[in-house]
Amino acid sequence: MLDIQDIVTAYGKIEALKGVSLAAAEGRITCLLGPNGAGKTTLMYSIAGVLKPRRGTIKLAGADITGQSPASIVARGLALVPENRLVFPQMSVAENLEAGAYQRRDSAEVAADIERMYARFPRLKERHTQLAGTLSGGEQQMLAVARALMSRPRILLMDEPSLGLAPLIVEEIFRIVGELNKDGVTIFLVEQNVHMALKVAHHFYLMEQGRVTFSGEPGKLAEDEVIQRAYLGTSRKTG
Amino acid sequence: MTAVDLAQNTLDGLMVGASYALLAVGFTLIFGVMRRLNLAYGPTIMAGVYLGTAAFISLGAPTLVVLVVVIIGAALVGLYVERLCFRPFGEGARAASMVASFALWMQLEEAATHLLPQHMNPFPPLLATQPLEIGPLLLRADHLVMLAATLLIAGAVTYLLARTKLGLAIRAVIDQPRAAAIVGIHVERVMMLTFVLASAIGGVAGFLIAATDGQVTHMIGMWATTKGLVAMMLGGLGSVKGAIAGGLLLGILEAHAQWFLGPQVRDMVAWGLLFVLLAFWPGGLMGAKALDRTMAVGRRV
Repeated sequence: MLDIQDIVTAYGKIEALKGVSLAAAEGRITCLLGPNGAGKTTLMYSIAGVLKPRRGTIKLAGADITGQSPASIVARGLALVPENRLVFPQMSVAENLEAGAYQRRDSAEVAADIERMYARFPRLKERHTQLAGTLSGGEQQMLAVARALMSRPRILLMDEPSLGLAPLIVEEIFRIVGELNKDGVTIFLVEQNVHMALKVAHHFYLMEQGRVTFSGEPGKLAEDEVIQRAYLGTSRKTG
Repeated sequence: MTAVDLAQNTLDGLMVGASYALLAVGFTLIFGVMRRLNLAYGPTIMAGVYLGTAAFISLGAPTLVVLVVVIIGAALVGLYVERLCFRPFGEGARAASMVASFALWMQLEEAATHLLPQHMNPFPPLLATQPLEIGPLLLRADHLVMLAATLLIAGAVTYLLARTKLGLAIRAVIDQPRAAAIVGIHVERVMMLTFVLASAIGGVAGFLIAATDGQVTHMIGMWATTKGLVAMMLGGLGSVKGAIAGGLLLGILEAHAQWFLGPQVRDMVAWGLLFVLLAFWPGGLMGAKALDRTMAVGRRV
C-alpha cells in the first residue's frame, strides 16, 4: 500500500531523514518505533506532503506521490492523525469532522459518516457542539482519529496517538486501532509505547537517528531490546 | 456639555466608526489567515480609490461604476501584495512580510502620485441630500448608507464564515493551518482568496469614506492602515465581531474627543488608545483568546 524508498528530508543543512526505506502492507498494522529525534514525525509529514523530501520516492498504491501537495495526497486516500492531535481548537467537534471531509462532495454521505463516527466514539456525540479546544486530551485524540477517517482513507497514518494520555485511554486508542484495521483500514503507526505497539503490530520498524535500523515481526527481537533501542537508541553515547 | 451634544457626538462617531469597522474587518481577516501584519492594506485601498477617482475624472464614470472600479482595483492590488509580500515568505518570516508590505506601501503611494499628481482629487459624492433631522439631532444620509453597508457586509462575512465550505476552510486555516493542510484544504489558495476578499472589503470602505468626503488624497492609505489597525487591536485580533465593535467604539471616542478637546486631539486618541491597549490589554475587547493562540502558535513554530 505504502512503499517508501531512500527518503531524505532535511531542515536546512541538517538531514533529519538520511535515506529511509520501508513499506506498509495493505490490510496490516505497521509500526515505527524509535527514540525522540529519530525522525519519525519528519517521516510522517514527508509522506503526507507537508514536508518535501529532498530525495527518494514515496508510492501510495503504486502511484508516485513524492512531493505532491497534502491535498492531492488526501485525495488519493491517505489520512494523517498528526502528532499532538492538532484539532481545530476554536471549532466545534462537528465542524472538525466536517473539515475532515473537506474534499468530499457527497454531503449526504458525509452526514452519514459523521453519525458513524458518533456511533464509534460516543463521547464525541455527547460533545458535538463543544469547541474542540475544550475537550480532554483523550477526547481530542478520538476527534483527531475520527477527523482523519472522515476522508475515507485507504491508509491511516497515526503519529504517536498515545502521547500524554492516561493508560486506560491508551488502551482504548489501541482497541480502536485494532477495530479500524479489522474493518479494512491499513494502518501505519508511529509510537513510543513499545509494549502496546508490539501487541497490535503485524510488522514493525526501528528507526534511529534518521535511519531504519531494524525491520521484522514482533517477537523477532526481545521486547526489552526493542525498548532499549526505541527509547535510547543503540548509538547513544553514555558517560 | 448637554445631553444633545453627547447624543449627537455618539451618533456622528457611530457613523464614522462604521467605516473603521469595515476597515478592521478586512484587516482582521488578513491577519487571521496570515498571522502577519499587512502594512500595505491601507495603500491597497488607496490604490483602488485612486483608480476609481481617475475613472471619474477622466471618463466621467458614474458613481456605481466608480464603486465597481474601486472594489476590483483594491482586490487586484491586494492580490499583488499577497504575491509579493506574503506568498514567498513562510509564517516563520513575519518581519520579512511586514517590511515587504511597507515597501509596497511606498511603491503604491508613488504610483498614485504619478496617476493623479495633484494633492487633492474630487470623488463622486454618494448622496447630496440635506441632513435628516431627528428631533434635535442631525444625521447625514450618506453616513446612514455607510452604516447600512457596514452591517450588510459584516453580516455577509459572518454568514460566509459560519455557513459555507469556504468559510469552514478559512476558519480552519485561521485556527490551525497545519491541520488545515493535513485534512486536504488548499491552504495557500484559501489565504489568497481571503486576502483578495479582505482587500475588496477594504475597497468598499475606501469608497464610502472618499464618497462621504467628496474628495481624496493619497493620505487615505496611511489613514486606512492606522485606523483599521487601531480598530482591529481594540476589538481583538482575528474576530469579526471584535473588529466591528472596535471600529464603532473608536469612532465614538474620536467624536467625543474632537468635540470636547478639539480637532487636533482627535487622532491622538487613536494612538493613545493603541498604546494603552498594547501596554495593558493586549488581547483587545473580544480577542484575548485569539491573541493567546497566535502567540502560542508562534512559540510552537
